[in-house]
Amino acid sequence: MYTYDDFDRTFVTERVAHYREQTERYLAGELAEDEFLQLRLRNGLYIQRLAPMLRVAVPYGNLSSVQLRMLAKIAREYDRGYGHLSTRQNIQFNWPELAEVPDILQDLASVDMHAIQTSGSCIRNVTTDEFAGAAFDEAIDPRPYCELIRQWSTAHPEFDWLPRKFKIAVTGAKEDRAAIAVHDIGLQVTRAPSGSAQFDFFVGGGLGRTPVIGALIGQNVPVQHVLSYLEAIMRVYNRYGRRDNKYKARIKILVRAMGAELFRKKVEQEWHFLKEGSGTVTAEEIARLQSHFIDPDFAAAQDLDFDDLRLQHPKFSRWLAQNVFAHKQPGYASVTLSTKVTGIPPGDVTDKQMDSVAQWSEEFGYGEICISHEQNFVLPHVAQSSLFALWQAACANGLGEANKGQLTDMICCPGGDYCSLANAKSIPVAEAIQRRFDDEDYLHDLGELDVNISGCMNACGHHHVGHIGILGVDKKGSEFYQISVGGHSGHSGEQAALGQILGPSFARDEVPDIIEKILNVYTNNRYSGESFLATFRRIGIDPFKEHVYANAA
Amino acid sequence: MPTQLRKGATTWEVVESEETHYQSSADWDGSSPLLMQCDEEPSRDTANAAGIAIEFPSFVDGRALSIAVLLRTRFGYTGELRAMGATHEDIVHYLVRCGFDVIDVAKNRLPERYLALIDPYSAHYQGSAIQPEQSFQRISRGVNA
Repeated sequence: MYTYDDFDRTFVTERVAHYREQTERYLAGELAEDEFLQLRLRNGLYIQRLAPMLRVAVPYGNLSSVQLRMLAKIAREYDRGYGHLSTRQNIQFNWPELAEVPDILQDLASVDMHAIQTSGSCIRNVTTDEFAGAAFDEAIDPRPYCELIRQWSTAHPEFDWLPRKFKIAVTGAKEDRAAIAVHDIGLQVTRAPSGSAQFDFFVGGGLGRTPVIGALIGQNVPVQHVLSYLEAIMRVYNRYGRRDNKYKARIKILVRAMGAELFRKKVEQEWHFLKEGSGTVTAEEIARLQSHFIDPDFAAAQDLDFDDLRLQHPKFSRWLAQNVFAHKQPGYASVTLSTKVTGIPPGDVTDKQMDSVAQWSEEFGYGEICISHEQNFVLPHVAQSSLFALWQAACANGLGEANKGQLTDMICCPGGDYCSLANAKSIPVAEAIQRRFDDEDYLHDLGELDVNISGCMNACGHHHVGHIGILGVDKKGSEFYQISVGGHSGHSGEQAALGQILGPSFARDEVPDIIEKILNVYTNNRYSGESFLATFRRIGIDPFKEHVYANAA
Repeated sequence: MPTQLRKGATTWEVVESEETHYQSSADWDGSSPLLMQCDEEPSRDTANAAGIAIEFPSFVDGRALSIAVLLRTRFGYTGELRAMGATHEDIVHYLVRCGFDVIDVAKNRLPERYLALIDPYSAHYQGSAIQPEQSFQRISRGVNA
């Protein structure tokens, strides 16, 4: 993984000092509330319903065991003993004291971490595939390019005061596990015939109140031009994106208003001037970044079949099938440690669990950890011979749930319990669904099923791309839930799609029943082996509507 | 008389300046310095002006930053470039890096804060209007250096 040099360390140290000075000016009354808001947001600090919330940047989800231990310490000392894994691979603390935040940042800086640009109208943390650098289906490791973009976008002089937040995701694998179609910019890295990296730029995707699939704007952009092409897009957006209405300020609205063709033309005109300029990435810099992401020293090993262990331990067998992902190196695997346990808000992890995951990563996985956008921990490089021991340890610490990709592995925002933007609570909805569907055999039989829950239009829970999406809405002061079907984020080789709304919304206590009805339509209509999504695509939304609203008419 | 930060030969200083007479883009005939709004287009022609000011409607509006970069790096403008209107001490370092060399201190704000926040960082990752090279072109960075 990327390790800081003196340059990075100096920058982050100076950033902490800068933010401390800003906080002092605010506390001294020199900065008004709305002025400080802009500054604290650019440093990850929200003021939430109950307390401040600090979002710590985890660049493209990558953590070392040392960093994760520091996060555990912060959870213990400044928070109430837990943190929350976010859908953008970051970690959030819900209870820090505003005046203590500079001290937290100093602790983070001591392990080369920060909270820079995790909120506010600027370029946010770059996200990627949680199996990057390990996946069997990866053409190119995207992480050196994520790091290149991270550095370029950090405190950018021109692009830190954008019309709205800006999210970039990168993938280098066949299967898109980074949901690049629903980001402001999604980058697909492939290998050019020459052997070097090249980039497809998908622009203007996004969720929120106007969900859109990104348009292919730049194709096969050579690696040396990736920053100048980005600069061209950012400049067009910074100059022409709407600033009069925050709900129309994302780049997707600009791309739609201009049309993809005209937008591309504008970008290409701008790029023409920038293309061979000082933004050109040197081969030395690419080599330097790549040198941070070389494979660990894998032992020569064979893939194991686990036949006996599977027979003796059906739960382990299920976990192998669900949570263990194929590695590029024979004899190794990538493991998902699920945080989705009934009764615990999705993504919440205790300090003790963080310490445990740090320890397991050292024992079993070269000290590397990744946070997935599905809000789980991943150990990317685990020897298959260690899987049983890891599973036992995970089970003993509430991280051994064999539900990755299943109905109970929901993506869920903090919702009305914590977030001041939310229209409705989301965590109790997730819990009610987990309680209703607790039969492991039934869940296994349903197969891959993404249920995503957002407490408001901002769509932090990515409800538009859930196979079943649940959106909290405010109906005359009461919390209601609108349900959509057939969305998809683009993984498993399926094309990304936005869900279709079933119809009128439901009260919270009706939601598990409605989910059950939707699942019945699926199980009654599916062909043998057909997934929920495939069935939906074949039969359309009408059978779901008819069944769900059958008695309501 | 506006209070301003002005870039001198070696340092920035706080000065009280005389009012400048500007023409708006619509009226501009080249006889006076030009006052631009954030939604206007800079050009080669604009770059012939004997002075350019750009009006900030709000300090969170980054459009003027792009206009400044274009004037400095694309249209070869070398004259005075002034940030007017709703500036703020916390955007001063962005203004400087995008090529402004005169920065009005907004009403009720402290000029000494502006001066203190000219550049809170000793080095930057990316290039800018005043330092075109990216960090990887400026310095040699080793792994774990």
